[in-house]
Amino acid sequence: MDWIDVVFILSGLLCLGSACTIVTRKNPVYSVIFMLPFFLGMTILFILLSAPFLAAMQMMVYGGAILVVFLFVIMLINLRPEEIKDDFSLWTYTPAAAVGGVLGGLILSFVRHGIPDGSELDKNFHAAVNNSRLMLDLGMGGVAPPLGSIDSIAIPMFKQYVVPFELVSILIVVAVLGAVILAKKRV
Amino acid sequence: MDVTGMPILADAGLMDFVAGLFSFKLVSCLALSAAIFSIGAMGVLARRNVLVMLISVEVMLNAVMLAFVSFARAMVNLGPPAGKTFAAEGGQIFALFIIAVAAAEAAVGLAIVIAYFRNRQTVDTRDIKAMRN
Repeated sequence: MDWIDVVFILSGLLCLGSACTIVTRKNPVYSVIFMLPFFLGMTILFILLSAPFLAAMQMMVYGGAILVVFLFVIMLINLRPEEIKDDFSLWTYTPAAAVGGVLGGLILSFVRHGIPDGSELDKNFHAAVNNSRLMLDLGMGGVAPPLGSIDSIAIPMFKQYVVPFELVSILIVVAVLGAVILAKKRV
Repeated sequence: MDVTGMPILADAGLMDFVAGLFSFKLVSCLALSAAIFSIGAMGVLARRNVLVMLISVEVMLNAVMLAFVSFARAMVNLGPPAGKTFAAEGGQIFALFIIAVAAAEAAVGLAIVIAYFRNRQTVDTRDIKAMRN
């Protein structure tokens, strides 16, 4: 067992444990607090998967913006602890756990039956991770930037994926305007 | 054996498959992603607090991002497809798009929660039944 396996298992357990904590706490403040170790584990996984820029974005946007917005709304709503209704009932948890288990088992069996053993997808997955300077041929001549660096993400984003990129900006404008209109006081 | 004639993971037996999940491979990343996704789906289905349901949706989106990034990482070993510019970063770029969509979804969802709470003083779906019957 290599050190990278140990880091992978530890961060995966961190993600799984904090995800379980998120969905089972009665008080939503604890759910939001436990989003932080969840995002931390996700960040470690992204760094292991040679996506350092994405890891930085995850920490800044999720841990910095989305989590604070959730916390802000919970503080704004300001339910007292005795006003929070008890969420736990076997009538809701049992079918939800059954559906979640069936869904996870289904995806797992797709993974198990759909990916060839020792195929090229799997080959060198581990060895190439240790070699952090992954070179990619982007068809531009010269030395290609390593996978996951800002260069290697920015160049395809503004060449091949420029239309979805612009659509995302339109989506964010629409979402911000919609949020303002929805949450604004009626005058 | 699948249609391509290559041995698939199911041939190895269940115990070997499970034992193989405890090392850093594509399959184990996808299995972790599936587990986190189903935990998030369970949260959306079981909880009655709208805020926790929105947080569970974020958990599900994170699981999808993990799957995208691990496929992008595995694509490196495949080499460029015939006649195409190779860009394994596609998965990472789509994960960035997922972050943007998740931010927009959180903004709109929380705005709806605030607007509803201002009118009805509740965030519990058992009390949200204005359109029932």
